[in-house]
Amino acid sequence: MRTRRLTARTVVGAVAVAALTALSLQGCAVVNGSGDDPNTLRVMMGADTTYPEERKQWQQETAAEFERTTGAKIQWETYSSAQEELTAIQTSVISGQGPDVYAIGTTFTPTAYATGAFVEMGADEWDAVGGKDQFDPASLGISGPSASKQIGIPFASRPFVMAVNTELLERAGITELPTTWDELTEDAKATTGGGTYGMAVAYADGFDPWKFVWGMAENAGNTIVADGDTAEIDADAVENAYRTYFDWVTKDGVVDKAAIGWNNAQALAQFADGKAAFFPMTTTTSLNSLKGSAVDGKYEYALLPTVPPGATERPADGIEAASILSGDNLVVADYGTKQDLSFDFVKQVSSPEAQERYFELFGQLPTNTEAADRIADANPDLAPIVAAGKLSKPTAFTGAWSDIQLSLVDVVVQSIPQLKSGEVTDDQLRKRLQDAQRDAQSTLDRQKNGGL
Amino acid sequence: MTATETRPSSQRSHRHEVRPPGKTPLHKRERPLWMLLPGGVLMLVVIVVPLLVGLYIAMLDLDQYTLRQWFSAPFVGLANFAEAFTDSPLLHSIWISVSLAVLVTAVTVPIGVAAAISTQNRFPGRGLVRSIYLIPYVLPAFVVGTFFRTMLQPQGVVNSVLGTDVLWLNGSASYWALAAVMVWTSWPFVYLLSLAGLQAVDTEVHEAAALDGVTWWAKLRYIIFPYLRGPLSLAVIISILHNINNFTLPFVLFGIPLPSSVEVMPVLTYIASFQSFRFGLSAAMAICSLVIVAIPLFVYLRAVKLDTGDDAGPTRKQRRADRATLTAPAAADIEGARA
Repeated sequence: MRTRRLTARTVVGAVAVAALTALSLQGCAVVNGSGDDPNTLRVMMGADTTYPEERKQWQQETAAEFERTTGAKIQWETYSSAQEELTAIQTSVISGQGPDVYAIGTTFTPTAYATGAFVEMGADEWDAVGGKDQFDPASLGISGPSASKQIGIPFASRPFVMAVNTELLERAGITELPTTWDELTEDAKATTGGGTYGMAVAYADGFDPWKFVWGMAENAGNTIVADGDTAEIDADAVENAYRTYFDWVTKDGVVDKAAIGWNNAQALAQFADGKAAFFPMTTTTSLNSLKGSAVDGKYEYALLPTVPPGATERPADGIEAASILSGDNLVVADYGTKQDLSFDFVKQVSSPEAQERYFELFGQLPTNTEAADRIADANPDLAPIVAAGKLSKPTAFTGAWSDIQLSLVDVVVQSIPQLKSGEVTDDQLRKRLQDAQRDAQSTLDRQKNGGL
Repeated sequence: MTATETRPSSQRSHRHEVRPPGKTPLHKRERPLWMLLPGGVLMLVVIVVPLLVGLYIAMLDLDQYTLRQWFSAPFVGLANFAEAFTDSPLLHSIWISVSLAVLVTAVTVPIGVAAAISTQNRFPGRGLVRSIYLIPYVLPAFVVGTFFRTMLQPQGVVNSVLGTDVLWLNGSASYWALAAVMVWTSWPFVYLLSLAGLQAVDTEVHEAAALDGVTWWAKLRYIIFPYLRGPLSLAVIISILHNINNFTLPFVLFGIPLPSSVEVMPVLTYIASFQSFRFGLSAAMAICSLVIVAIPLFVYLRAVKLDTGDDAGPTRKQRRADRATLTAPAAADIEGARA
């Protein structure tokens, strides 16, 4: 009996040790990933919840082509949120190991640049990816602080435009699309009623609010950050922008009150249901969502207004910014030992054919000029989006932008209760702008190396 | 008579003779303390070293510009701590976190105790009910947060059922929404500990109470609650600690930036780190949080120390006193009936 018990105990112990060993080895494998395998490239991209199947297909196609041309494999890694993206990059920067290539949002490029962990593209590097001149010059606007100091290789373009329900506009007798923010408000008023609203706006979205305010402020000549080190949030142009944005729901009544708690997808759903005339902050990624919806065949894209609120024409110092320079940049980690492979990968996905395929699957516009021209020729209805791409302007290229963006959104987040009650007073708005100004300036004051 | 007392007197005197005056007794000196070494090293590596590194980081101006060579980031002494207290929403977030933790714990204790008592007696399906009670506790916080985020939308099921038009995820109502979700997720923990406490009540005590004809309230008040005092104290402390440190629920429910009414400590620290890249400041905030958490933790450790072995539940003396209190009126009743 004693012997049997000991044997059983020994077996259990042996199994436990074996399991622990296996787990440890597995853990080592996970930690090391392909880091030690010179024949596997690690590429990190954002997860695509809208087109997961297409993403899988694209990854398979890309990896197969990469293996055919280079003999190397690709290990895909994904992040599901901006926070996860930040965490992954921070961990890699500190540890000096991680993915070899990252696809990062354009507005995150300045922060990535500030870490100094990514390859600065010189003439040799641009040649290695197929040449700098293959890219639309506008798409390089947020690749680095200057033309000679760039880390971001443009990969996909997602300029913001507005979707317009042509049927509702026609019913309201509107024949011309608005080109000023005031005209947009008036047209929205004219199309509100009978269960429909003039605009679908997502006040609780984590990103939309700052894009509206940034756009209106740029049109008035305010770039939010002046000279790379001065915050300009507590200014008339920005206050007018917020006032216009808030009034749509509190005073003008052109936005559904429920939109105070909406994110962008919910606003898109309202537009897709045919319940809103304008959806003024969307990209080509909405194409598939609108396919087969109540507005299919009854909508078109249009440029966002470029004349600031309260004006009939853009002031002399106003900026014709139809959208932020939006999309993805590829950056190559400088700690990696597989930079040649990394550039091979970038070259492959930057080719006109690969870029056209990317548009076909995900609706995101190419940054490759040749591919962009072909797509524009083949899809005349996308002309406004192509035009928006050309009129896109970069946000301030500073490592502090991430924090400034948060401050701009926070003004709206903290105003939500007043939006709900029907009025954000001037005092409340000014107080929040002062807080945002203080936070943004404090972030800018902490910049090192000139913010880069 | 105790075991010590039965030991032969010669043996006891021998012990006294071999011990050099002023030195540790032999039986203590011979303890194999070296066996604590692996545990000690592990504690050093897992707890002490990261804590010291955290303290060091809290004194650095560590951000996106210095992240790569973080060891050579500018040393700023206590400036991050000063900024955390004077120029950040830390104090506000401490108030939010602590008040939420206390409120949620105060609500969950009666719910947990009631649930434990409701499943104490045998009835058909008791196992199923006990399992159902544990569902909120075993569901991952991320899943719970996502469910509630959907239900608390302006046009979500909560507003539909209540017939209200409240913004639960923004503004002041978000505080109560977070408290409600935290209550939903954390009451089963109190229930579990209460159930464990109830299991510790001797069967004889129940039988004695039944024989004595004790009313249900007297039984609860004088038998059950004294037994639950220990487990419930622990439940309260751990619940407060857990709720102060709750990151996932507010993060998933409200996203970033948080409405100011739910600007809790863990998320504030996260934002400082991973949104603003102020790693030094966030380390300082985290250390302040540690101090806040250490207060109930200290009480918790004291409670654990007091609540071991024979000390679990009421003391023997207490039990005797309680039984006397209970049996006295019962005996009087019986005596009265006899007369």
